Amino acid sequence: MNQQMQTIAELDRIIHEPGRLMIVALLFAVERSDFLYLQHETGMNKGTLSSHIARLEEAGYVAVTKTYRGKVPQTLLSLTGAGRRAFEQYRRRLKQAL
Amino acid sequence: MNQVRNIMDRPRLYYNIDGLGEVNIGVMFLGFALLLWLLVHSPANSLWHQVAWLVFLGLALIMHYGTKALKTHVTYPRTGFVEYRRSDRRRTSIIAAVLGALVPLGLLAADRRHWDIPAAASLAGLLFAAAYAYSIARAARWKWVVVGAIALGSLVMTFVPADVLATLASDSLVAHPFRAKFVGVMLLSLATYGPMLLISGGVSFWLYLHHTQAPAEESE
Repeated sequence: MNQQMQTIAELDRIIHEPGRLMIVALLFAVERSDFLYLQHETGMNKGTLSSHIARLEEAGYVAVTKTYRGKVPQTLLSLTGAGRRAFEQYRRRLKQAL
Repeated sequence: MNQVRNIMDRPRLYYNIDGLGEVNIGVMFLGFALLLWLLVHSPANSLWHQVAWLVFLGLALIMHYGTKALKTHVTYPRTGFVEYRRSDRRRTSIIAAVLGALVPLGLLAADRRHWDIPAAASLAGLLFAAAYAYSIARAARWKWVVVGAIALGSLVMTFVPADVLATLASDSLVAHPFRAKFVGVMLLSLATYGPMLLISGGVSFWLYLHHTQAPAEESE
C-alpha cells in the first residue's frame, strides 16, 4: 500500500462519516451549542442527529449536558479534549491524503 | 477540505443570522452621529456637553442587553443557541476596538498633515465595505447590495467639497480642538453607514422572523 492509501486508510472512521464530520466541524468552532442549533445547521432530523451524537459521545469526542432553558429541556453539546485532538488529526491526515 | 473550512465558519456567520449584529452597529453609528451633531450644534455651556458621553454609554448598554434579550427570547428558541469560544470573543473584541480607534485616529492624522480628508474618509469607507463583505455579506447573497451601497457611499464622499464638510461643524466647540472638516467627515460617514446597516439588519430580522419558527415541542 502506498503512503497516500495508507493515510486514507488511517482516517478516523468515526469522524469521517459526513453527518458526524459536520457535527464535529461545527462544534470545533464553538465552546458549546444546543441540539437545536446542530439540527438547524446540519438539516438532519432528530433521530439521525441523536444517533450520530450518541456515537460521538460513545467515542469520547462529544460531551452532552442536559439542562433547562426556562421550562424547556435543552441539550448542550461540546467537543471534549479528545474530540478536538481527533478532529485536528483528522484534518491533518485528510490534507496529506489530498 | 474547503468544505470542512466552510462548515467551521458557519457558527461565526450565525451570530448575525437574525440581523441583530448589524442593527447593533447601525444604532451605534447613528447614536454617535447624533451625539456629534448635538455637540456641534448645542451651546458650549449647555448641560448636553456634560452628559453626552453618559447618554452614549447608556445607549451602548441598552443595545448590549437588548440584543441579549432578543437573542434569548427570539433567536435561541427558533434556530438554537451557540456559545462562542472565549479566545474568539476576545479576538473579535480586540479587532473591533483596534479598528474603532484606528479609523478616527487615521483620519485625525490625515487632517493634521493637511491630507485630503474626504479621500482618506473614502478609503476608510472602502475598508469598512471589505470588512462587512467578509464578516457579514457572505452569509446572504442580497447583502452584496449593501456592500455596493457602502462602497458607493464612500466613493461619493470623495466628491463632497471640503467646504461643505467644514460647514457641518463650523464654529462649534467640537471643531475647536479638531478641524471642522474632520468633524464634518466623521458626522457624514456615521450618518451614511449607520442607516444602511440599520435597514439591512432590519430586513434580515424581518426575513428571519418570517422564515423560521420555534419547534412546537421541546428543543430536542
